[in-house]
Amino acid sequence: MNSTLDKLYAILRRDVLTAIRHRSGFVVTLVGVFTELTAFYYLSRAIGPGFRPDGVAYFPFLLVGTGLYTFFVMSAQAFLSAVQDAQQTGTLEVLMTTSTAPAEIIILSAISAFAGSLTNLLVYIFAGVAVFRAAIHPNYLSCLVVLLLSLVVALAVGIFAATVQIMFQKGAALLWLLGSGLWLLSGATFPLHSLPQPLGILARAIPFAYAIEGMRGALLDGKSMGAMGPTVLPLAMFGLVLLPIALAGLSLSLRRARQSGTLSFY
Amino acid sequence: MDQVVFESVSKVFRHRPALFNWVGRERTGETLALHDVSFSVANAEVVALLGPNGSGKTTTLKLISTMLLPDAGSVRAGGFDARHDPSMVRRQVGIAVATERSFFPRLSSRENLEFFAALDEVPRGERHGRIEEVLRETGLEEQADTLVMKFSSGMYQRLGLARALVKRPRVLLLDEPTRSLDAAATAQSWATIGALARQNATIFLATHNFAEAAAVANRVLLLHRGKLLTDRVIADGESAEKLRALYFRLTGEPVVGEAQEADLIHRAGAVT
Repeated sequence: MNSTLDKLYAILRRDVLTAIRHRSGFVVTLVGVFTELTAFYYLSRAIGPGFRPDGVAYFPFLLVGTGLYTFFVMSAQAFLSAVQDAQQTGTLEVLMTTSTAPAEIIILSAISAFAGSLTNLLVYIFAGVAVFRAAIHPNYLSCLVVLLLSLVVALAVGIFAATVQIMFQKGAALLWLLGSGLWLLSGATFPLHSLPQPLGILARAIPFAYAIEGMRGALLDGKSMGAMGPTVLPLAMFGLVLLPIALAGLSLSLRRARQSGTLSFY
Repeated sequence: MDQVVFESVSKVFRHRPALFNWVGRERTGETLALHDVSFSVANAEVVALLGPNGSGKTTTLKLISTMLLPDAGSVRAGGFDARHDPSMVRRQVGIAVATERSFFPRLSSRENLEFFAALDEVPRGERHGRIEEVLRETGLEEQADTLVMKFSSGMYQRLGLARALVKRPRVLLLDEPTRSLDAAATAQSWATIGALARQNATIFLATHNFAEAAAVANRVLLLHRGKLLTDRVIADGESAEKLRALYFRLTGEPVVGEAQEADLIHRAGAVT
């Protein structure tokens, strides 16, 4: 356990040092957050106060939906970039010869990548509430549970992206799917009941929809854990099923790459 | 005790055709990287892997380090099987790869070494001392806090060696360790290799440099097109010229003597 924490600290330190030495990176991210929030703020004003999806004002609805969805995409992207960069620079093969198991290195790298995305999400929500006066009524326990389950799902998605990258060198395809089709079905910008029935049913097969719905209920409506069952239980089931599948896929892809000599291909 | 054992090892790389291969001309078929190679190497031996490009030297190192798995036969290092106990093998083996950019460019050399030492499970209490020691051994003390993105290729090469040494491996794999080094740094590297062998480490040295093989190795494995042509002891004081003659005689490559080699380099310089 100590050894794993020591390795996690080493990976976090590497990523923080690399990030702060890209001097302009933080500023660009902050400007991006405020530009996006400003756009959503004026969009919701243009639509008017009469539009209240799921009973809440449109700006906070967008704030939670886009914030959480961006968190999922950024996590997968950060994780995928870590694997791609390591392939391109040649560090992946060297990392795979250290005393740490390859799967452990990838999972610890994922946790580090998520720390950045999570910080971004918190800044996004905080700025939306503090600067743009989004009304929230949080139930902190429910928020924490939804956030933890969302992390499990994000971890699985990140590992899937890494697996696709290692196996087919096409991890970006999964990101494209996240940025297009799944975005439509996630309910990030409009309520899912506006979709035609077949698409609505399809949306119910996507974990992000439950995560976003759950976080809106917990943060905007202050729903208790008891009232969150229909959202939290499917989200937990997704996490329980997806994470072991993702880990098994990653282990298989690493073994195949070591057999075929394609570990550093990109 | 034998530290590294190859038993009838074969490795094939398959070239899978592209979906629309008629658009270009991507190669298909297979490359036989190693064919039925067997040898065993004991403690404190320094083995030079010689052979032309594509002969299987780097594949041999990658198989020992578990970067690759064999298609047939077995590879054992430090008493463990590379296929069944890869994590135990990785604890015994350090590899210094020739890839210059296999470091994190926005970390200093010390920070890179600290990172890899953590993943190599070097005890926290010993980490600082060991890193200072390998920085000194590889002549990188003055560049310890320089970001490696500012390094020359020779410095990368030294840092690669430092990284492999931090975990104090029982088996050390060196892929052309002095390719980009100046004369002084080369001599320092050879001295380090000699000192490690005296401390009982087993060392593999893939090289094209006959002088290097003659200076530091006590055994040579000569590979050609994936086959082991010879496995012999290098006698004390055996000359680089004798190794060169053996190489050209066994591989059948067009003979280039030291004088001819110098003449070719001179002419290339005159042209450019």
